[in-house]
Amino acid sequence: MEKEDYKISFFKPTTQQARKNRNLIIKLFVVWAVAIFGFQTLLKIIEKPVPEEALITFSSAWENIELGHATQSDYQAIAQSMIQVMGKITIKPDHYAALKDGTGWALSKVYPEDALPALEQDIRHLHELRGQITSLRDEAYLETKELIISKAAPALGIGEDTLLAQLLAIGLDDNLQRLSEENREKIPNIMGLYLTHNRSFLTDAVFLGFPFHYFYSAVFLLAFFIGLCWIYCYRTDKLHAKLNFLEQID
Amino acid sequence: MKKLYILILSLIPLMANASNDVTQLEGSFKVGPAIILIFILSLFILVGLLFRAKDTTDYYAAGRGISRVGSGMAIASNWMSAASFLGMAALMYGTGYHGLSYVVGWTGGYVLLLILMAGQIRRYGKYTAADFIGDRYYSKTLRTIGAVIAILISIAYAVGQFGGIGLMFRWVMGIEYNLAVIIGGSVVLAYTLISGMLGVTKNMQIQYVIIISSFMIPLFLLTFKFDYFWLVPQIGYGSAVQDIVEGIQISEKSGLMNSLGHHFAIVPSPEYAMPWDPSTGQTFFQWMAIAFSLMIGTAGLPHVIQRFYVVPKARDARWSVVWGLFFICLLYWSAPVYSALGTILSANPEVGALSPDAIVVYTAQLGDINPLIVGLLAAGGVSAAFSTTSGLLVAGSSAFAHDLYVKVINPMARPKTQMKVARIGTLLMAVIITVIAMVDLALIAQLVAIAFSMAGCTIFPLFLLGIWWSGSNRAGAKAGLIVGGIVTLISLTYLVGARAGWTLPYNDFITYYLGAWYFAWIGAPLAIAANIIVSKLTKETPLEIRKFLIEKVHS
Repeated sequence: MEKEDYKISFFKPTTQQARKNRNLIIKLFVVWAVAIFGFQTLLKIIEKPVPEEALITFSSAWENIELGHATQSDYQAIAQSMIQVMGKITIKPDHYAALKDGTGWALSKVYPEDALPALEQDIRHLHELRGQITSLRDEAYLETKELIISKAAPALGIGEDTLLAQLLAIGLDDNLQRLSEENREKIPNIMGLYLTHNRSFLTDAVFLGFPFHYFYSAVFLLAFFIGLCWIYCYRTDKLHAKLNFLEQID
Repeated sequence: MKKLYILILSLIPLMANASNDVTQLEGSFKVGPAIILIFILSLFILVGLLFRAKDTTDYYAAGRGISRVGSGMAIASNWMSAASFLGMAALMYGTGYHGLSYVVGWTGGYVLLLILMAGQIRRYGKYTAADFIGDRYYSKTLRTIGAVIAILISIAYAVGQFGGIGLMFRWVMGIEYNLAVIIGGSVVLAYTLISGMLGVTKNMQIQYVIIISSFMIPLFLLTFKFDYFWLVPQIGYGSAVQDIVEGIQISEKSGLMNSLGHHFAIVPSPEYAMPWDPSTGQTFFQWMAIAFSLMIGTAGLPHVIQRFYVVPKARDARWSVVWGLFFICLLYWSAPVYSALGTILSANPEVGALSPDAIVVYTAQLGDINPLIVGLLAAGGVSAAFSTTSGLLVAGSSAFAHDLYVKVINPMARPKTQMKVARIGTLLMAVIITVIAMVDLALIAQLVAIAFSMAGCTIFPLFLLGIWWSGSNRAGAKAGLIVGGIVTLISLTYLVGARAGWTLPYNDFITYYLGAWYFAWIGAPLAIAANIIVSKLTKETPLEIRKFLIEKVHS
């Protein structure tokens, strides 16, 4: 192409400098695109939906309950699994409410029937206190919480000093036997939603403490971008020096 | 002086009012943070006065006397807004791995910006995006449209900043959000009118140091306190992410508590780190679309592109990107630390629903960090929003006064009238932004992402083709703008419709595939295609433009 044409096209460079610059850009662009989108696509291709242990336990116990031959340990198992989901930070309020009903209902199945009203009274008292206290370290509030834990946790096979026990105490409603048909139908889907995750060897491998894929996207890629920029500047400087290319300024 | 000491000493008990005797994290006026906030904002004005630009030319060209590192800091300061400071952690707090698409998008875009544009933009030698568009496409109409788009992008970008300012003012003053937005908006308007023209490069460097320090200090304290590798928290928090995935039992970290009295414990939560987890409601497609849209948006944002005009040479423009990206990455490596620790510290349902956009501050508060340091953190967030908003208001009002009023409406306008119009423009923009921010449309980072998609659909194609293909002509540019504009309009109509409760046709399909935070994934390619097709079918670009491209931009 003659220079007199005065036509510029990225794909049809007219000078040696432009050609080398284009080649460098294409190389860096390809590396950049593969590093970002290639890796995520790989993650997508190799991922498998993997259930958490709690979902496997829940599903088997729930099936027994639906078939009508549940044992006490089945109710304990579904309660423990539901409490675990109630402790998840991403849980939606309506899902939390459904699991709250489910946990209370499971507890009512394993708790002595004649002692239920007293437990419900304790839960009611805790809720009343929650509305009055100015500190979550309030003694009466903490005592009531401990009282509920000491009564309800053993019935569900949960250790009193555990996180699940803490979550149980604040995750009970004062009407333990209530479980609406709607919530009963929703619960298995809710459990599946929160307890199934896309995993692969890239998510399960640990690097510098991170799940590998997380390290790659949150830490490595950023450093890689800086590296790519550095390479471009360095190579461009070298190229300009080699070709005696002086950049004009206005 | 002695009286000042006595006053400060008498305030210390108030400032150090620890947060462990409460049931929630909001609600009261916080004296210490308020004083720190006022101090830092005053410092910016003071620095601005000391390094004051003498005139408009000095303002634009101030950076031409500074080093590449200094210019890099200025790029980072200009870039680091409430979306970076508050919004990044918020996204990861709510949606886990999905939030990393924003981190990758907002940093990966700099590679595109560097290899495709930085040097060429510098060599082209225009000061504003509208200047470039009007000149390259030899059209007064396109120049006007370019200025209008720059104003719209500034408004969209600033809405998120006002949201961040409102949240921090609500936290500091213990008032309702809308009132906080009005007060915060008024303060930022006053700040801009006083210091707008002072926002020169020197000020930006100092702002960067303050913003990054306020962000980093609590991280060292938090990782040290909760027993993670604190010397490099940006690596040390990896174990916290793994702890979230596997869960932390009370017995594992016994004795460690948050400020509300809950154990440092969490149930196994793989959804925090696993890709496009079903429980987050986010998909693989959205991850890719967001990352791509943010990248091309980065390469098309007027106030980012503008930074390259103020370095001495094209070579400096390129190296300043490397340094700028490094300084930006310091913040982006750190934001996920707040999100991870915040997730554990707020894991107990008793903490209640926290506003994700304020999770950076809540994390420090729940970690029982000294209230003065939490105050410094909040002040850093406000400073980040202030510096960016101030720049956006100045850029928007300049487009209004210079590119629209003087170049189109009244070419004979006197400098005094110009200044008056610029001030009216600033005021108008501030009012519009305040009203939109009060609607609380989405998370801060998502609001800012709208600006990126707008830029990706409109300005990015014009710059990309304008620099690299002399065949792109006026008619092609108009066609590309129309297509990019239509995609933008459709997406934003559905966003507003969703908020207003309207049921629009193909609602689910369009809100998913043309989501407001990522519609550029399709809008930009379509705009580029329209530009190329129409350019091919219409009259060639004039010789003097092609000659200029060859001789000035590519030689």
